[in-house]
Formats: sequence, structure tokens, C-alpha cells
Amino acid sequence: MGEMATAAGVLGADLHNKVNNSKILVVGAGGIGCEILKNLVLSGFKDIYIIDLDTIDVSNLNRQFLFHKQHVGKSKAMVAKESALKFNPNVSITAYHDSIISTEYGVNFFKQFNVVLNALDNRVARNHVNRLCLASGIPLVESGTAGYEGQVELIVKGKTKCYECSPKAPQKSFPGCTIRNTPSEPIHCIVWSKYLFNQLFGEEDGDEEVSPDTADPEAAANAGESAMATDANEKGNVERTSTRSWAQSNDYDPEKVFTKLFHDDIKYLLSMADLWKERRKPSPLIWSSIPEIANNGQSTGQGLKDQKVWSLKECVEIFSESCRNLSAQFKKLPEGDHMVWDKDDVDSMNFVASCANIRAHIFNIQRKSRFEIKSMAGNIIPAIATTNAIVAGLVVMFALKVLQEELEKCQCVYVRSKPNHKLQQIVPEKYLSPPNPKCAVCSPKPEVTVRLDVNKQTVKDFVEDVLKKSLNMVAPDVMLMPSGSIIISSDEEEMDISRLALTLADCNIIDGSMLEVDDFLQNYNLTVKIKHREPGRDDPLFDVIADPDLLKPTEEAESDKNGSKNGEGDAKGYEDDDDDLIMTVDDEQLVIPGSSSTKRKVEEEASVPVKKRRTGNSNEMLATPVEDDDDIAIIE
Amino acid sequence: MVKDAPIELTEDEAQLYDRQIRLWGLESQKRLRCARILVVGIQGLGAEVCKNIILGGVKAVTMLDHENVTEEDLCSQFLAPTTAVGKNRSAASLERAQALNPLVDVKVDTENISDKTDEFFTQFDVVVATNCPVKELLRLNAICRNADIKFFCGDVFGFYGYFFADLQIHEYSEEVTVAKAVKPQTNNNKKQKIEEEKVTRKGSSIFVPLHDVLDIDWTSDEYKQKLSKMDSTFFLVRILQCFRSEVNRNPKAASIESDIELLKSIRDKELAKMNVNTDKVPDSLFQMVFAQLSPVCAIVGGVLAQEIIKTVSQKDAPHNNMFFFNPNNHLGQIFCLGN
Ligand SMILES: [Zn+2]
Repeated sequence: MGEMATAAGVLGADLHNKVNNSKILVVGAGGIGCEILKNLVLSGFKDIYIIDLDTIDVSNLNRQFLFHKQHVGKSKAMVAKESALKFNPNVSITAYHDSIISTEYGVNFFKQFNVVLNALDNRVARNHVNRLCLASGIPLVESGTAGYEGQVELIVKGKTKCYECSPKAPQKSFPGCTIRNTPSEPIHCIVWSKYLFNQLFGEEDGDEEVSPDTADPEAAANAGESAMATDANEKGNVERTSTRSWAQSNDYDPEKVFTKLFHDDIKYLLSMADLWKERRKPSPLIWSSIPEIANNGQSTGQGLKDQKVWSLKECVEIFSESCRNLSAQFKKLPEGDHMVWDKDDVDSMNFVASCANIRAHIFNIQRKSRFEIKSMAGNIIPAIATTNAIVAGLVVMFALKVLQEELEKCQCVYVRSKPNHKLQQIVPEKYLSPPNPKCAVCSPKPEVTVRLDVNKQTVKDFVEDVLKKSLNMVAPDVMLMPSGSIIISSDEEEMDISRLALTLADCNIIDGSMLEVDDFLQNYNLTVKIKHREPGRDDPLFDVIADPDLLKPTEEAESDKNGSKNGEGDAKGYEDDDDDLIMTVDDEQLVIPGSSSTKRKVEEEASVPVKKRRTGNSNEMLATPVEDDDDIAIIE
Repeated sequence: MVKDAPIELTEDEAQLYDRQIRLWGLESQKRLRCARILVVGIQGLGAEVCKNIILGGVKAVTMLDHENVTEEDLCSQFLAPTTAVGKNRSAASLERAQALNPLVDVKVDTENISDKTDEFFTQFDVVVATNCPVKELLRLNAICRNADIKFFCGDVFGFYGYFFADLQIHEYSEEVTVAKAVKPQTNNNKKQKIEEEKVTRKGSSIFVPLHDVLDIDWTSDEYKQKLSKMDSTFFLVRILQCFRSEVNRNPKAASIESDIELLKSIRDKELAKMNVNTDKVPDSLFQMVFAQLSPVCAIVGGVLAQEIIKTVSQKDAPHNNMFFFNPNNHLGQIFCLGN
């Protein structure tokens, strides 16, 4: 007997044998990862690898049940291994406290496994694992949860759609002018405050300016002319060397920082008179006479401090305190190093919450509790134990079927928050979704079109923003075709650094140019067609189109709608945290057996797999992955 | 239903339960932490339910099981250490169950459920019974009805699982999204916007006791129609309940061949009674009903625990009244039976 025999008893000899001889990789040891690991160990899997970069936080403990209070701060992968081994000491678990996006985990690493189980919380890592599984020919079980909802799908090259076959809704982004000049919702002030954090203490990013934008087209007609003549540089930023060096030269004095941001800059905005013709004017604040304004009378949480809406005075006090604490921490860092905003760090969160509320007050926007601001600033999509357990159970059911070579039984499964009209709560699709022949990743000859301004976009921005952030490459090489001249080399020794500052046009990349991009680590080759476009006020600096049909105009409104509904996080911070991402549930994708009209619909969809199925239905669910606890993505 | 008056959460609780409070709200969390729950049968499914509700932050969980840990438990029961084979299941599970959340009062009861008097149950808000014969389930259900206690029962048999709920008359509130026209905030934006607004609405569900489900006349016109839509899991569960009643245990891997024969004969008898073709439960399914498969315990235990959370927090419409999981197509479906 022994647990070998019991696993054989439940699985049957044949499946038990396959399980016993398999080698499995679990990517992620968060909410879903802990549950998966438990199920694997108990079901007789003997050779399990698990990798996670994260460490344990208190807010994980309500669901990541392999971790307890004494483990806070320790490696998730290592603690998960130790805890799971207690369920069955006779299995081998290999744990890595590391990022899966690393040269150590290339195609050869992936090839040793029978199946890879994703339990990730962000799109960057998911895209990456998707590509490596495609490149190494290993089946991938992808999963995610958001609140009561979840999804599990099998990805097998050539047989099913891949993680990147369907275009994901773009992250919600806000026009720079709205953030810098004319906020009208709490989220605009929160985004501005996160930018401010980065400008003062974090990684400085030219796209995250917090000063008034004098190049705002709405104001350009007679935009604070005198001011513009004196202060603004060619990019429209008010000249102040940089927000950080200005703050440093003032020793981060809270009063001076406050006066600059919440008085002088607001005065400046008021001078851009056109902006306020049809908007309510902002009111600058004076440090020495903060008005007595209590909370908006919407405190919900009786005793709990995070649930209260701070009075304006409290906001200013908290701003001062957090500004002082953060600058003290910042000064201790080695020269050139910077801080990273973390919603779970008290001072970082207090700073953003207080600044957001002060700015909200100035612009007559409702102030919010710290609890609410944390949800928005951290883009928290709450994860719970039960949904994670259900989804992880389904993931391991999929793994068993993969080992039995029953791929045809692994249709995408949705866990719904409420049963559908057939009273189904855990709902499989009727068919496997075939690959999208136009997929930029898994099609035989992947190709995308990138629209951007070739005269403004620099080579560096093209690499960082387009190839890495948007197309999720890790170390791309770029050749201009047909000449084959090397534009970018991932090998630093071969790369001419001076080229990074050139525009694409300077490198002869113009409208209609074709680039061959190759990512060695991902074993991924992509043809990029360049289309020149000068973006307007509210346009992103670039966009990437995989399916040429999508170049047609109707799509934008749709994706915007999805984006806003979702508040979806971007992958900007692979390191950030917690949870267990989600993908989601598209109601219309669900199959309702026995209904002929639905059946036809599903079949039609099967032949035209990707594009949107978004109709205007009010009860439609999201068709895109959402991620828990990722930083909100603001590209512009 | 929950008897204690909700009290404020502490800062520590707010931090620990941060994510779920963001999902179901402070009120639900406060109700949750007043709920006292009895879980009967601490095998794989029982362990999953305990884990989820302890993590969720209920007030107290009593784990009741008079049996000892078996070899078969080791493939799904993660609360008892592997060295505990032969020791009482609930006692062996205490340490790990308590470690999941020190704020929950986790208790052990090693007596046989059938020895418990009616009085015993009144200390609980919810009773969850697993691994019990039908006769015992009917008794517990009746006691719970009398004492206004929410009752659940469920099992996992190998790859298959189900649960049943009798919440009597259950009142709840739920958030629904309605469209509403809003005035423009800035005079810049003159057109009326339609915004989605969440409103809270009250609802109530009426449940029937388990015997109403067991007493269904499947040859009646109403149920003949329903029968054709029933998933094979439903019939399989019924066959396994009969098996348990007949031999006073679940099928065991050690006696797999004779157990499968017995299951087949029970199937033939039971399905004939219901006027259902034996094709509904092909022989091959009987290979998949031994012990409890860990991922299936996780799925059924996850849905069941979420129903318990819904019930005590009185938020959202509960499943009325049976849930089945089919491992072949991964379908988890609710059936409303006996109403
Ligand atoms: Zn694809």
C-alpha cells in the first residue's frame, strides 16, 4: 500500500503510471499555484518544478494557503515547496525563486516537461511562457481568476488557439493632457499621483510628466501665451530641469513641493484660459491656509482607518509625512538608484492617496478613501480562495487529460460568478478553439503592422515601448529588409549605442518599411510592417495591429469600452504581485448544448476564431484577460 | 440567520481579509466572522471545505469525524499528516487546519455523528455533512430544519462529486447593475451620459428538504422530461449512495472487482425504478469512483465553500438545490429538484 497504491486506486493503473512518470512545470506559486501544487502532490505526481519570483505578503494569506504568517517576506516558491512536501514527502519538488523570463529558462528547459501549468498574475509572463511552450512544443494549461470568475484553457501548437491569438483589450490609458491639465475623475488624479511618485522617487519616465502641458491642443490657440514664451520648452513641458532635480534642490521640503504642485502649477493652468471656458476652474491651495473641509460625508467603514475619507487637512498632513519619509528612504539609496511604487508600502500608498485627494479637491473631484484609492492605484482585482481552488482543480484535471492524450476533452472552461440560464456554473466550451491564422505569435509566418510617427519615434522607444512592452519581446534583434542591415542587436557589443537616440526615419525606416525581428530567447520571429502616422491629442504614440482587418475604424470604440470596464492592469511590472490573474469569461463563447441557433453560432465562430464577439449586450462579460494586482498601465 | 450581531473588524483582520473585502464587502466579512460551522466527515472533500471557510474567516469550525485516517485518504486529505494513518481523522487534521488562520476557532469532535443529540446541533449556524449514509443525512436535515440551521451535504466519489443544499427560506441581497442617466459633471460635456449603476436588491429562495428529492417520482410527466436532461453524474451519485447504504462503506480499491459488480447490480435496479436506460451510466464510469481525486475535491469543495460563504453573508442568490461536477467534460451544473 502506501500513497502510491492509493493514487493508483483513484486514478486507475494506466493513468497512475503516466502520472508517476511525468514531469510538470508550475509557473507561479500564488493563489492558483499553491492549489495546483497541492493537487499535484496528492494525485501522485512525482517530479514537479515550480518557479516564482515573488515573496509572501500578508494580503496573500487569505487564500495562498501554503503560506502562514511566519512566512511573510520569504520566497513563495521555496515555502510552497516545503509546505507541499508535507502532504507527500516522497515526491520531488524543484523550486526556483526566480523570474521565468530569464535566459536560464529557454526552450531546452521547457522541453523536459510533459506539460506546463501557468498560474501567473500578469500578461508579460504569460505571453512569454506561451511563446516558449509553442517554441518547445509542450502543451500549456493557462488559467486565471478574478473574483468569483475564472478560466482554464489548453494551448497546444497547431491544435488550439494560443494565449496571444485573440487581441487583448489595450490597457486603459488616459491622454496626457487630461492627466496633466484637466482631470475630471478620481482616477485621473490617482494616475497623476503615481506619475508624481515616479518623478520624485521612482524611475523617471518622460511620458509621466506631472507639470502643466502647454502643448495641449485645446489650449494652444492662446495658451497662456506669456507663460509659454518664457517657461515652456519645445515639448511643452514647463521648464524645471526635471521635477526630481527641482525637488532635490529644495531638499524635498513638503511645503515647497506642495506649493509648486498645488499652487504655482495650478495658477499656471489657470493662465491657459481656453481650458476653462467650459470647465470648472481649479482652485489653487495655499499651504498656510488649508480650508477646513471634512470628509465628503461618505465614510463607510466606521472604525477602520483605510475606509475613511480624509479631510483636506489630514491629506496635507499625510502628504507631508509621507513625502518626508520617502525622501529620507530615497536619499539612502545608492546614486542613480530609484524606488519602485508599491501599493503595500505604507508611505508610497499614503503619498499617492494624499496627493490624489489634494488634487481632486483642487479640481472639484470627489475625494476617495485610502481603501478605494488602493484598489484603483494598484489595479487590484480581488482573488479569493474558493475560485482559486476551483480553477486549480480544473487545471490539474486538464493536466491528467493531457497525459492521457485526450486533448479533445480540454475545451476552454469558464467558472462563472452566477450560473447561466442553463444553471451551469462551471461551463466548458463545446469545441476546442482553433488557432487564429493571423496570430502574430503562433501563425506559421507571424506579421504585424505598427503605426507610429517615424519622424518622432526614436530607435530606443521603438525597442522599449513597441518591441518589449507592447510585443513582449525580451531581447530582440531587428533587421531592416530587404537590405538585411542590422538596426538593433540584442548583443550589446554589437550594438551601436548612439543609434538609440536616432529617429526611425534617420535609420531609413519609413512608411511601408519591413523589419525582421527575432527574439532568440523566445525562439520567436516576427515581420513588422511600419505605417507612418502622426498621432492626435488623444491617440497613443503607436499601435500594433496583428490582423489587417482591424485597421478598420470601428474597433477603437469597442476596445476602449472594454478597457474601461475592466480597469485592466498592464504588464508593466512583472515583479508586482500577488495574484492570480484572470482571463475572462465571454458569455457568448459559452456553449449551450441543445440550442441549435447557439450551436450554429459557435460553429461559425470556430471557423472565424479571433475577432471580437462583442455586441452591445449589457450583460456581456469581458473578453479579455485581467490581471490581479498589476500596476495600472498608463502608457501615455 | 447568523445569530451574533456583527461587530467591527480589527485592523489586522482588515489587512488579512483585504482582497475578499474588496470583493464581497465589509458587511459580508463581518457576518462571516460570526458564523459557526460544523463539518462532518473530514476526508478530501471535508478538508477542502474546512480550508476554504477557515481561510475566509468564519468564527468557528468544528471538524467532526469518528473514523481514522486511511491510506486512501492520502490522495486527497491534506490536513492530516501522512503519518496519521490509523489515527482519528479530525484530531489528526487540527494542527494544519488551525495554522491556516489563527483567528478562527477550530475544534475537533471525534464522536460518531449518529450519537449526537438534536441539542448538539443548535450551537451551529451551518451544518455540512459528508461521507454519511442517506439515513443519517435525512436525520440531520430534519434536525436542521427544526432548529433553523442551514444544511448542506455532499460527497466526492473518485472523479465525481455533488452537493445538496437545504437553506429553508433564505433571504439575501444582491447587487445588480442598472443603467441610469447622469448629469454631465463639467459644463464642457453637454450631452447626457448613461452610466451603469450598482443597486442592491433583496431576494429570497425557498428550499426543500432532502427527502423531497429522494422521493421524486421519476416516472411522473414533470420529471420524465427533466430526466432526459440529467447529467450521468446525478445517477452515478444515487447509485453510490445506495452502495453506501447497502454495505455501509464506499467502494474501495482493495475490492475493486467485487465492488464494481455490486455497483452494476445497484445501477440496474435503481435505474429500472426510475425508468431510465442503463446506458446513462456505462460500466466504464465505475472505474472512476474509487477514493477521492484531489482536484475534484478542490472543485466541489470550492463551490460548496463559496455557497456556505454566500449563505452566511446573505449576499447573492444561492444554488438551489443540487450541484454536480462531471469530470469528463468539466461541467459543473445546478439542478433544482423536488421543488
Ligand atoms: Zn496564436
